[in-house]
Amino acid sequence: MKGNLLAGLVQLLVTLAVVAAVILVVLVPFALSQPQPAAVLTSFLLGPLDSVRHLGNVAEVATPIAFTGLAATVIFRSGLFNLGIEGGFFLGGLAATAAALLLPLPHVAAPFLAIVVGATVGSLACIVPGYLRIRHDASEMVTSLVLNFAILFAGVFVLNYFLRDPAAGTLMSYRIPADARLERLLPSTRLNSGAIIAVLACLGAGIWLFKTRAGLNLRIVGSSPGFATHLGLPSSRIVMMAQVAGGLIAGMAGAIEVLGLYPRFSWTHLPGLGWTGIIVAILARENPFLILPAALFLGYLQVGGNILAQEVGIPVEVVGLITAAIMLAVTANAIFQHPALLRLIRTIRQRGEASAS
Amino acid sequence: MSDDRAKTLDVVPAVAFNGIAKTYPNGTVALSDVSFAIRAGSIHAVCGENGAGKSTLMKILFGLTEPTAGEVLLDGKPVSTGAAGFAGQHGLGMVHQHFSLIPTLTVTENIILGHEPRRGLLIDRAEARRWVVALSREYELAVDPDALTGRLSVAAQQKVEILKALSRDTRILILDEPTAVLSPPEIEELFNRLRGLSARGMTIIFISHKLNEVRALAESVTVLRGGRLTGTSRLADIPDDAIMQMVMGRAVEVTRRVPAKVAGDVAVVLDGVSTAVRDPADRIQDISLKIHAGEIVGIAGVEGSGQRGLVSVLSGMMNPASGRIAFNGRDMARVDALGWRRAGLANLPADRFGQGGAPALSLAENAIAGTDGDPELQRGPLLRGAAITARVRKMIADYSVRNSGIGERLDSLSGGNAQKLIAARELATRPRFLIADQPTRGIDVAAAAFLHKRLDEAARGGAAILLVTADLDELLRLADRVVVLFAGRIVADLRNGPELDPARLGPFMLGLETAS
Repeated sequence: MKGNLLAGLVQLLVTLAVVAAVILVVLVPFALSQPQPAAVLTSFLLGPLDSVRHLGNVAEVATPIAFTGLAATVIFRSGLFNLGIEGGFFLGGLAATAAALLLPLPHVAAPFLAIVVGATVGSLACIVPGYLRIRHDASEMVTSLVLNFAILFAGVFVLNYFLRDPAAGTLMSYRIPADARLERLLPSTRLNSGAIIAVLACLGAGIWLFKTRAGLNLRIVGSSPGFATHLGLPSSRIVMMAQVAGGLIAGMAGAIEVLGLYPRFSWTHLPGLGWTGIIVAILARENPFLILPAALFLGYLQVGGNILAQEVGIPVEVVGLITAAIMLAVTANAIFQHPALLRLIRTIRQRGEASAS
Repeated sequence: MSDDRAKTLDVVPAVAFNGIAKTYPNGTVALSDVSFAIRAGSIHAVCGENGAGKSTLMKILFGLTEPTAGEVLLDGKPVSTGAAGFAGQHGLGMVHQHFSLIPTLTVTENIILGHEPRRGLLIDRAEARRWVVALSREYELAVDPDALTGRLSVAAQQKVEILKALSRDTRILILDEPTAVLSPPEIEELFNRLRGLSARGMTIIFISHKLNEVRALAESVTVLRGGRLTGTSRLADIPDDAIMQMVMGRAVEVTRRVPAKVAGDVAVVLDGVSTAVRDPADRIQDISLKIHAGEIVGIAGVEGSGQRGLVSVLSGMMNPASGRIAFNGRDMARVDALGWRRAGLANLPADRFGQGGAPALSLAENAIAGTDGDPELQRGPLLRGAAITARVRKMIADYSVRNSGIGERLDSLSGGNAQKLIAARELATRPRFLIADQPTRGIDVAAAAFLHKRLDEAARGGAAILLVTADLDELLRLADRVVVLFAGRIVADLRNGPELDPARLGPFMLGLETAS
């Protein structure tokens, strides 16, 4: 097991090395075209790490995408490409806001109950496409993509007609009561107790996926449906459970995002953090234990980009360009299936096993 | 020299293979030194078991792969196969066993695909339709040009496939086991059409392992065995048993397993079991069979004769359309895969990495899959890592699985070692009924011998065993009884013994004889 963890770490290190190479290839020429090339590089690469506040920002950005990355991991492990995570995130935020505003929640448990409502309602975005796939063999990719937009427009309708604060200038909800909002952990950042939940959720999901019978069966069903049939595993039920679990996590992520960061609910577009979650899941090789480093890394990139924009005046779009290049490199199997790398990982794993026995 | 022979020598053959050999990069020898000629305008059958090299030879003729040695002559001229567009240029058309049609396109669209008549940038649909109608009339293959291909019956789809193969000025038509998916009247209809094509001068190469069909249709036959030519002859000059011997090879003496002295009680009973599916591999008809505890029943038959269907209904993957199945006295006709396993079935599937295990998961995970609720291996929902490691290490040692760590992926193992691990898992349950489907296909001799020993031990331990195998040596070595399937039916149920050899099984397997 120690060998396994070490081997996973090697994979992550290689990933990071590839990413670093891409940053250099894209960013260095760009920096050279600016009046102060050194400042561009240092503020992008070191800026996010230079103060507690910036580190807090990184964690703050990493929190929601760790959740959505985890949701994507659980769902992908079941073998389905269900993109309802994005809709689930939106719906979770909306439902949690609605619960906080409309339900008579008791003081102490208010954030908890609002999150439960958000998670439950949000999970529908993943459950419906999963059900349609299992019962009617409808492509979950198509139904979930379409459903995301249906959810968005229904959500904007609810916001406009039930939650809208007429006194506010634009389309946004009433103020979320202070009771229902999550505790802030670091002054002058928006880092909140949701980050702690994210860490616990990733660890819990990792144990579930790799150390329990249910997790093993899920991985069998997802990676090898024929083998699952041979064993007589209840594949439909197992796949459905994964959609429910992934949906709950996505909904919870949305709820925590709204209750942790914003005084009011004001999303009138899909926030896009579900999509980012897919990137996180791919970066983390669909391993919950590696979700946190992957999410933190993307958070680091984002904060670096923000600093670049604020302090050097470089457009945020450049960061988008870099992230895209990174995605291309990171998903290139040519690098990660390279025989030399596979051999190295095998050696490390064997050594770990030898020391364990 | 007879007149007849002189005549065939006069005419330049449409196709001639000259010393063709093919060795794949991984060292597999698919063909060695194959030479024969096919008379222009004749129907020529190519026979042989699975893996005899028929497909490779046709691939070479069709230009899909290059021979390692030798040359192909078309109309007496050597051609270099393997070039792009080779088949089209030389008037070769092929009808594959698995259709290459696109179900959501119409018949016309499928036929013109790749050489569409155009008007400017657009496809000239009217012209295309006229063309397909004319083609269909010319070759007397009636199809509805506007029908959606996926909605057509299998026989009609095959007509489309043939028309597609004929649509490019084809002179040589190759059909790869075209009757496998057809019913008897459809086969008769197909043969009439093929005779018609032949009468118009088309050269037809007909790949089949059904001797009666070969005899009904072809003028001459070539037999391959193990990548070598074992004979080529006019059918009029050669009796059935001679062809069969060329297909099956000479009898090799095998060491048979000594069966248990006393047969146990009846464990598995099938009574008039049929499946209602089209795919011949899954179609079984009126199968009645008893397997006793401690007995190994071997299933022989040409691949696709219903073996997969038989295995499926006996493992809960498919429920029979009619008939009765009982296992230790319990009615099993409607029981699912989990129910069968709980009742005491273990199964070594033919598709090792698709059904036998999860290639992307570790050896340990594969070894303990399906042991849900084993109190030794899990505490509540949590798996007990140390206990699992100990158990898996013991399994690996007992079955001498050569591995580089139990955390490695299953697909890091060779086929033989993967199969040993799968056998270790399946036999660990001390099954009362074991299905072994091609248990040693493609694995090395030592591993195969090891698995044979384990199967023998399992039978001695009281398991009823159904052994499905294409390897006749293996069958004769292990089975106490040999049941031959042909076209989904049992055509023979024979006790194994010194008098049973491939030559005796051949006529049943090829559908020439029925014993029961």
